[in-house]
Amino acid sequence: MSASKSEPIVSLQGAVRHYVSGDETVRALDGVDIAIYPGEFVAIVGPSGSGKSTAMNLIGCLDRPTAGRVEIAGYNVAELDDDELSSLRSRAVGFVFQQFNLLPRTSVLENVIAPLGYQSVAVKEARERATLMLERLGLGTRLSADRTQLSGGQQQRVAIARALVTRAPITLADEPTGNLDSATGAEVLALLRERQDEGGTIILITHDQEIAASADRIIRLRDGHVVDGGSPPRAKRRAA
Amino acid sequence: MSIRSLIRLALSRLTASPARAALTILGIVIGVASVVALTSAGKGATSGITTRLNSLGATTVTIRPSGSGTLTLDDASALVAIAGVDAVSPSVIVNGSATFGLKSSSPTIIGATAAAAAASKIEPWAGAFLPDLPVGEAPRIAVVGATVASDLGLTAHDLGSQIMVNGVPYTVIGLLQQKGGAGVDTALYVPLDTARAYITGGSGVDSISVTTTPDSTVAAVEASVAAELHARHHIGVGKSDDFTVTDLTQILSTVASVQSTLVMLLAGIAGISLVVGGIGVMNIMLVSVRERTREIGVRRAIGARRRDILIQFLVESVVLSLVGGIIGILVGEAVAAFIAHIGGWQFSIDLQTIGIATAVSVVVGVVFGVLPARQASRLDPVEALRYE
Repeated sequence: MSASKSEPIVSLQGAVRHYVSGDETVRALDGVDIAIYPGEFVAIVGPSGSGKSTAMNLIGCLDRPTAGRVEIAGYNVAELDDDELSSLRSRAVGFVFQQFNLLPRTSVLENVIAPLGYQSVAVKEARERATLMLERLGLGTRLSADRTQLSGGQQQRVAIARALVTRAPITLADEPTGNLDSATGAEVLALLRERQDEGGTIILITHDQEIAASADRIIRLRDGHVVDGGSPPRAKRRAA
Repeated sequence: MSIRSLIRLALSRLTASPARAALTILGIVIGVASVVALTSAGKGATSGITTRLNSLGATTVTIRPSGSGTLTLDDASALVAIAGVDAVSPSVIVNGSATFGLKSSSPTIIGATAAAAAASKIEPWAGAFLPDLPVGEAPRIAVVGATVASDLGLTAHDLGSQIMVNGVPYTVIGLLQQKGGAGVDTALYVPLDTARAYITGGSGVDSISVTTTPDSTVAAVEASVAAELHARHHIGVGKSDDFTVTDLTQILSTVASVQSTLVMLLAGIAGISLVVGGIGVMNIMLVSVRERTREIGVRRAIGARRRDILIQFLVESVVLSLVGGIIGILVGEAVAAFIAHIGGWQFSIDLQTIGIATAVSVVVGVVFGVLPARQASRLDPVEALRYE
């Protein structure tokens, strides 16, 4: 991705997302400004209904804003058609979900190969990269296992391998420790921190203050607005 | 994703719920199996009949009087000179009765010449066929068809014995091989002049069979025969003939066209069952899209474009339908082999049928897979990810 260090890799400016349900309009995000710079480890927190899932969908290029501007890795998502948005999502964002969301009836290795397949990476190279990534995450012996044969922690590590294998600059983790015990959860956070050390941008979506505390910056949302932390403190931004 | 991994994925879906997959493709299996069995059996039957008819003499042209016309021995003699004619065999045909001791039969009595053996491709297994006789000689000798012989209880030992034909004694000089169909088995051959003297009277003949030489065509000989008879019977241009000329190829083509109409009809019915099978595939694919909404969401999240999802589901329905098709082909060929065994003709695997059946199952998979696949590809990724 071409975004330079001084430009935010994620930028929401006056972002609005309304849903129409019946004759009622839900203002899930109501004019939100968020800037996240390359290499940051950020947590987006808020109670349910605060709009953090909507923010995640916008940052993850799964959705477009009703109004305002959303720029991911330098691209204004409103200007992209569905295929371009898919391509940007594939190259810029790696997802880690609370439910792990490994593909059913698909081996560990095939799960990690899948995103490379959608990028049309050659089969042999995809296999090598996926194997290498899984070995790094300590799953080298479980390549042919099915998700039903794995513990929650192992499944989440496969999911992280799947998110990292594309070398996408942004790793978007939605409650990644929510279904794990605290020791395993800590391991997952450590893996994400490792990714940050390699230059990745980590965005953690959580309602858990304790988990959020492990981030460098916390963006607090409430009722569709940013209450705190939308941009990094000046000193830090200079450092970055 | 590569097509190979898509196919592998689709196959793994099949094995994931084998009972469901089996029931889904049952319609396709039945449809394809019936198409394959019917066309294969139809072709086998046609070629079986063709072989059988050929053995009865496809190179023979038969002339019969029609309307008030008559054919005479002189007509027959005149035909001998025509180019391409090998042998000419005039005959008279009449129903009669035969007895031997206490046993009796109702054969078709055919007054014929020695040439009838070649024209009707008949061969005695015991004794001999009618000899060449000088004009005017009318010995009372008989060559007996297989069915008549068995009715009368005649065996090889009875050669030279006397049987009564229409109340007059005849000497049995030959017994014919079983031929199957076309009246030879129920015939009793006597010399033409003998038949005219003792049985029919009159000077007309009921039919003239003309055997063609190997280097001539049946159609050319037919034309020459017709021209000769037009001249002899003084039939001018535009007047209607007082005779008909037929050959077995006409019967063959009639049989073939009836056969192919029948095959088309049955194939049409089988086609309907394919449509029903296709609807089954569509139904299960729609269910599958619903069940796998979340998977679709995850795939979109990790970078799948709409068309990736579309192709994935399309490949799946094609694989489903194709597996059904392949099983159907195997079942169909097995059934065709069985029918051939019963029908007594040669079973052969027809590659064209297999090719068409394979193509048809792919087409069914695409046609009935498009709607579910489009539905899958149009799911909103956010909604799909939230789906429980």
